[in-house]
Amino acid sequence: MSPTEAIPLLIVVLLMISIGGGDVQDMSVTFEGDNDVEALADVHVVAGGTTTVPENAAVDGDIYVIGGTAAIDGTVDGDVTLLNGNISVSDGATVTGAVQTYSGSASVSPDASVGRVSQFEAPTPSSSPAQRVGGFLLQFLVLGAFGWWLVKRHPLLFENVGAAVTDHALVSGVVGSLGATTLLVLFVYMAFTLILLPLAIVGLFAEFLVILYGQAVFGYLIGTRLPIERDGVATLAGIAVFLLVLELFGIVPYLGGIAQLAVAVVGFGAVLNTYFGLQRFEPVTIPGGT
Amino acid sequence: MEFLQHVRQRRWTTVSGYLLFTALMVAGYYYNITFVQLGLIDLGTRLVGLSETDVSMWMAALALVTLIVAAVTGVTMDRRGWSTTLRTKLRLLFGVVCLQFALTLVAPMIRTVPAFGAWIVFASIGLGVGFPVSFSLAIDLVPVPDRGYVAAAITAIAYFLANAIPLSWSVDVFSQLMVAAMAPGILVLAVLSFASFDRLDAVLDVLGTRHETYGTGRFCHDTQVQARSLAFAVPVVLMFGVFFIDSLGFLRIIDTPSLLLSSWQSPDLSTRLFIAVAHVVGAVMAGVIYANYSLSRVFLWTFALFALTHVMYTSDLRIEAVFPTIAGSGTSPLNPALYAIAVSFYTTLNFALWPDLSTPETVGTHSAIGIGVAGWLATFSSTALALYFQAADLTLLSHLNVVQALSLLLLFGLAVGLYAKRMVELARETGGANA
Repeated sequence: MSPTEAIPLLIVVLLMISIGGGDVQDMSVTFEGDNDVEALADVHVVAGGTTTVPENAAVDGDIYVIGGTAAIDGTVDGDVTLLNGNISVSDGATVTGAVQTYSGSASVSPDASVGRVSQFEAPTPSSSPAQRVGGFLLQFLVLGAFGWWLVKRHPLLFENVGAAVTDHALVSGVVGSLGATTLLVLFVYMAFTLILLPLAIVGLFAEFLVILYGQAVFGYLIGTRLPIERDGVATLAGIAVFLLVLELFGIVPYLGGIAQLAVAVVGFGAVLNTYFGLQRFEPVTIPGGT
Repeated sequence: MEFLQHVRQRRWTTVSGYLLFTALMVAGYYYNITFVQLGLIDLGTRLVGLSETDVSMWMAALALVTLIVAAVTGVTMDRRGWSTTLRTKLRLLFGVVCLQFALTLVAPMIRTVPAFGAWIVFASIGLGVGFPVSFSLAIDLVPVPDRGYVAAAITAIAYFLANAIPLSWSVDVFSQLMVAAMAPGILVLAVLSFASFDRLDAVLDVLGTRHETYGTGRFCHDTQVQARSLAFAVPVVLMFGVFFIDSLGFLRIIDTPSLLLSSWQSPDLSTRLFIAVAHVVGAVMAGVIYANYSLSRVFLWTFALFALTHVMYTSDLRIEAVFPTIAGSGTSPLNPALYAIAVSFYTTLNFALWPDLSTPETVGTHSAIGIGVAGWLATFSSTALALYFQAADLTLLSHLNVVQALSLLLLFGLAVGLYAKRMVELARETGGANA
């Protein structure tokens, strides 16, 4: 695992420790090789290789696995969390806290003593039609309320961003993809400094809100093409159609995902290019054409 | 994009101008980034037996002689009116390609230092004459509004080929490929330069008068841009900064096997293709931004991308310093991919900028000074500094830390400069503060 690959998962670990009130200053990480541990720092992260708590050893602290293997043969007085890689808790081993699995492969022997075993189940959108409809309605309500409010109070904002989407889709796409990627990398590295972690979380949330703003604009644009006179209702209907189309994209493998991504970056770029709709985007005029 | 209109309206003469310029520039740039930049190192170290430091010094000499030859060529072109004569420029280019063909053919046979030195001098003459001539062809062949897109196409094709085709970085391999590729090119240039038949003459006559329409560059319509004016000097300084940062960082990266073998020289084709595609994406983005935004915006993006790239490289190295066991596990392809996007950005800018800062009367001089100072002098200085770092036994992290500091400084400096410029403009407009 290279540093660039390890960084996102290490940040997740840092976030989990911070949220749990732990001390991130006292943390150790192993990246490769076979390591037997007789004592632990408050938090130990396994990013590669194999880390073993031997049969007769008793260690005090939490273990996070983001790559490689953690083999618990002795006693861990704390939690064991698996984000990626493997863990095995063998016969006679003890984990006083919880063994939590988010992703990766966990093997817990029935003869081991474990405080609690939990398995994170990612929500599957296709699990039931009712859940899917519920999720869709929630999205529609949030986006629809925002769209309704904005088109009633500040219709010019939507007009300006909409014009950037329709008249300058390529430019919006380029600026959107550059801006979103650059900011994403920046926020991840800001998070890694720990000092800027709160700012990074706010920044990532703001990026998400800008994408939602872009989606509302797409809904507004569809609404203007529907035979509905009242702006608010047309925008609501447009947003419903847009979300439905996005859902349909999701059914198509690969191309559907690419289309969803393209819509997100074009919307993101259009919002940035127009200063959130405060100014109409006009590209520079280059003289000397034929 | 005007190109699509020309195709739709079947203006094939104009379309052929686009294609000719793109083909010539792709060939020239591919030759430069493979044979000159990489093949020469192999020639000097493996076949001649020089140390890497000695080869770097010879390459710095090549950069300096190229700059001098280019300056002389550019000024001569403008003074004698060659800049506005298409046939003359094609003939000069034919001579350059013939010289480069001969040099490429004999390169693998060189075994002594004097022969290597003589090769460097002749190569400098070829390059020094070649680049002002080829860049000045833009005023005959490419309409001003499309220069950003054409520059993007040149960058994308050249870098894609250089990265996707799995060639060993050896002078023998480069020589064989280049000789095979240059032979038909020489034939085409010979026909364009010397042959005379009705259809060809008609096409060249039309293209030869296009400088009257396309000649005045994008940034020369409102202001007179002279070589000594700020409007020209500032872009030269900024481009010097970009070339310097790139060269200083890349020289150390290609000298570090763990970084090189997990990226540009990876045995895994998918990694190389990933970098090649990143170059294409970067070039397209740069082309779109160049054509739709002010010049300062393109520079800001370029510096921001370089700063981000080096932040990523140095962060990885810092993590490796804290956790030594991670060292040697290679790097993620994300870092070289981001590097590729940044490089494509400024290369695209470089292809479009100098003709756009010129008129038919100044294109030779401005191209020569622009590329000579920004490109070749920056390469010369960064090579010298890299050699000093090597002599001082600077670690990889310390070396790249300097590059990161420079890129952040340039980003900050440009942002402050733009802000200050706007303040001066406002002060001049209002004559003081307004309530």
